[in-house]
Amino acid sequence: AGGTIKFGHDNKTDPFENPAHACTAVFSNLVQAGTNGSVNVEVFGSNQLGSAAEHVQQVRDGLIQATLTSTGALASYYPRIDVLNLPFAFAGNEATYKVFDGDFGKALAADIEASLGDVVVLGFPDTGGFFAVTNSQKPIANLEDFEGIRIRTMTLPSHQTIIQALGAEAYPLSWGEVYSGLQTGVIDGQMNPVPIISFANFSEVQKYLTLTNHLFSPYTFMINRAFYEGLSDEERATLHAAAENCVTASRGLSRIIESSERGLAGLMDAMEVTALDDAQREAMAAATQPAFEGHVNENLDEKAVELLTLFKAEVAKANAETYLD
Amino acid sequence: MWAGLAFVLLILFGMPIGFAIGLAGVVGLIDMGGTQFLSIGPSKIFNGLNIFPFLAMPFFILAGEIMNGIGITNRLVKLAQVLVGRFRGGLAHTNMLASVFFAGLTGSATADAAAFGRTLVPAMVKEGYKRDYACAVTAAGSIIGPTIPPSGLMVVYGSLMGVSIAGLFAAGILPGLVICLVCMTVIVIGGNRENLPKAARGATLKEVWSTFVSSLTALAMPIIILGGILGGVVTPTEAASIAVAYAVFIGVFVYRTLKLKAFYQMLVRTARITGVIFVIIAFAGILGWWMSFERIPQLIAENVLSLSDNRYAVIAIIIGLLLLVGMVMDITAILIILAPVLVPLTEQVGLEPIHAGIIFVLALNISLMTPPVGACLFVLSSVTGEKLERISIKLMPFLIAEISILFIFAFWEDAALLLPRFLGFAN
Amino acid sequence: MQTWARLASARINTITEAVVALLMLLLVLDVWLGVVDRYYFHWQLPWPEVMARYLMIWAAMLAISCGIARREHIGLTAFLNLWPKPFQRTVLVVMDLLALSLFVYVLWFGLSFAHSGASRQAMIFGLSLEPFYAAIPVSAALCSVQLALVLVRDLGTHLEFPTEEEAV
Ligand code: NA
Ligand code: NA
Repeated sequence: AGGTIKFGHDNKTDPFENPAHACTAVFSNLVQAGTNGSVNVEVFGSNQLGSAAEHVQQVRDGLIQATLTSTGALASYYPRIDVLNLPFAFAGNEATYKVFDGDFGKALAADIEASLGDVVVLGFPDTGGFFAVTNSQKPIANLEDFEGIRIRTMTLPSHQTIIQALGAEAYPLSWGEVYSGLQTGVIDGQMNPVPIISFANFSEVQKYLTLTNHLFSPYTFMINRAFYEGLSDEERATLHAAAENCVTASRGLSRIIESSERGLAGLMDAMEVTALDDAQREAMAAATQPAFEGHVNENLDEKAVELLTLFKAEVAKANAETYLD
Repeated sequence: MWAGLAFVLLILFGMPIGFAIGLAGVVGLIDMGGTQFLSIGPSKIFNGLNIFPFLAMPFFILAGEIMNGIGITNRLVKLAQVLVGRFRGGLAHTNMLASVFFAGLTGSATADAAAFGRTLVPAMVKEGYKRDYACAVTAAGSIIGPTIPPSGLMVVYGSLMGVSIAGLFAAGILPGLVICLVCMTVIVIGGNRENLPKAARGATLKEVWSTFVSSLTALAMPIIILGGILGGVVTPTEAASIAVAYAVFIGVFVYRTLKLKAFYQMLVRTARITGVIFVIIAFAGILGWWMSFERIPQLIAENVLSLSDNRYAVIAIIIGLLLLVGMVMDITAILIILAPVLVPLTEQVGLEPIHAGIIFVLALNISLMTPPVGACLFVLSSVTGEKLERISIKLMPFLIAEISILFIFAFWEDAALLLPRFLGFAN
Repeated sequence: MQTWARLASARINTITEAVVALLMLLLVLDVWLGVVDRYYFHWQLPWPEVMARYLMIWAAMLAISCGIARREHIGLTAFLNLWPKPFQRTVLVVMDLLALSLFVYVLWFGLSFAHSGASRQAMIFGLSLEPFYAAIPVSAALCSVQLALVLVRDLGTHLEFPTEEEAV
């Protein structure tokens, strides 16, 4: 038993800079200490070994053993991950913890493992929180304000569907051109989690930020199945415990970054920030959720529809719960 | 180290550089674990090319092909002749100046090299310049493209390292202009030795005017491209497609010199030139994966930097390291692999983030034209048919000049941060 | 044999170049469409950006074999020219064989790579990634064939008698 886990991810290699590396650093430390060094972890950050999607293939082929992958990168291997793009679902961050640690998280992990066949899912770490929308035209405070705004999305049909249902226009643009595209006005706006907006310096080229919180998109922490099955029961238990701490660390750091100079606090100095009131969120949910469900019914299979039903039920339950109550 | 040995031997014995990089990568993979890692190859090739901004390369090559074919280039050259032709090396100076204008349109040095390699180099050869010298001038000027904003490399650096991209853009303007001036000085100094041509007499005002009018359609091209970018119609990558569209429009409707058969040849030649460049990028992906997996860049960085912790020594070592690795590796790969290792060291010795950024960008831009692996050299060599080593020799004085500029801006913080401070991006 | 290799290489190359020209044309039209859509039609087409990358890869990969047929891939020649001609020719034949082995490697592993794309979605037109990944093995096969043919055609003499350059 034992061995080395080569762990690839596509973020900066500073545990205090981003949730992905915080997660891998915690995991690596706990695994090495907990197995007395019989399982070693080597982390390769910064896309050194390839893109997020390439990492998934490398884990599946056993070239590396573990990765944290975004939902966008996983989608080509596992299209059903798209159900996570249900817009305006979560009431707050704490609800996301409950949903991805609870019955839905388990069902999703089991379905990914069954579909891919060659990986084991160890958890769903935080990527940096909810999506926000920025633009250069006007403050967006309600549904009508989206009218005619041209927003950059990833090449992901569900994201386009959501933006269009809001009344805006959605154009896929390669990531490398987003900054200059926003600067010159090729597009008016874009959507991303707050830390990415801050890190990509979009406040230099965008005036308005709206805390839409319309999407939450966690990493999927996966490990090569053959490697995993080669470990002793004790080592596996250590891995699972370390993975749980990795997920916790990613959430803690995400909340800290959001509220630091590198997150919302910093952006508030540079941009006009708008939070949505409950009525507006409900109006946006009503406008986008049927369109999104139509997209799922049309483009994904029966299993995805089942998964979406479970997701909605679990989210509703988590939203209704109150902390320590 | 078998991969390194294989690379050197293959290069020495005339193996095309892209293939040598590919074989060295395969040797590295086998050295790493027999046949276990061989399956990574095709995926690295595909994903190494699967990058939208790379489109700027074939499109600017194609635009250059069409401009040549329909005679736009000739008109521009004639204009340059009547303006600065009376000076020794007038077209070489024109080439440098044109690079500054072009820099405002493009963020990539290879696009500049491709466009001028197709247009100005043939014009210079026709005028009596040696082809290797014409290529060297073009290569030296091409790095002004990604130094003066917009710059693709600065965008990658800024988003990777969390540094203000606008601040980096501001920091690039001054070095870009200085590079132009210093290279023009190099042209003047070398003018007699290279026996650069000059026109027998100056043009009359009437000649200047009529040439100006006849080249208006050509002169409008950069204005249309720049307008397209700044007006928010196209991204910097897509701008290359506007260049193609404009050249086709002029060729078909204005000059009526673009024939279907010639257009077919232009498409084929563009694809072949692109293939020659892309095969290098593609195979560099395999070699780069092996290097990353074995942590070779970090190993080099750690060892070299254990030598000193003096501010100037560390800067000099970083520049030396970047230029050294830059000789054999693709610059985007270097940026991704080395910046996270080296930038923390610049913080330790108290360098402003924007200052560190501009040092990185300048050093990597210069690496685009250092042999044996230099994208601008490859582009020029393949579009003009000139031998890589002959261009490299003629490039030497320009290279020394540009490296000196790099060191000046690296050591003299006030100069490097003059514009960023003025615009409020740095303290 | 050498004449046959020359003819075969040229004929395959003519066909390849025609395909490559078509792909280049589609590439240009695709990017234009993306711009015009965003600026004028507002159809919000999801595919031009993805399609551009895949067309570029297919065109460039196929064009590598055209470069081989015309000996356009660049190497250093200064060191090789120091040696006597028979040695130079032997080295160049060995280099061709090594390059051939590289492309056979890419072809062999490229087949399973392309096949792995069958179970992955391309996010456009409901296609899998297989037809796009196929660019790797198909072009590697073409490059291998062209390398074998030009090896026989030139037998290491291509430095002494360079293939005719197109006028610059
Ligand atoms: Na530029
Ligand atoms: Na170089």
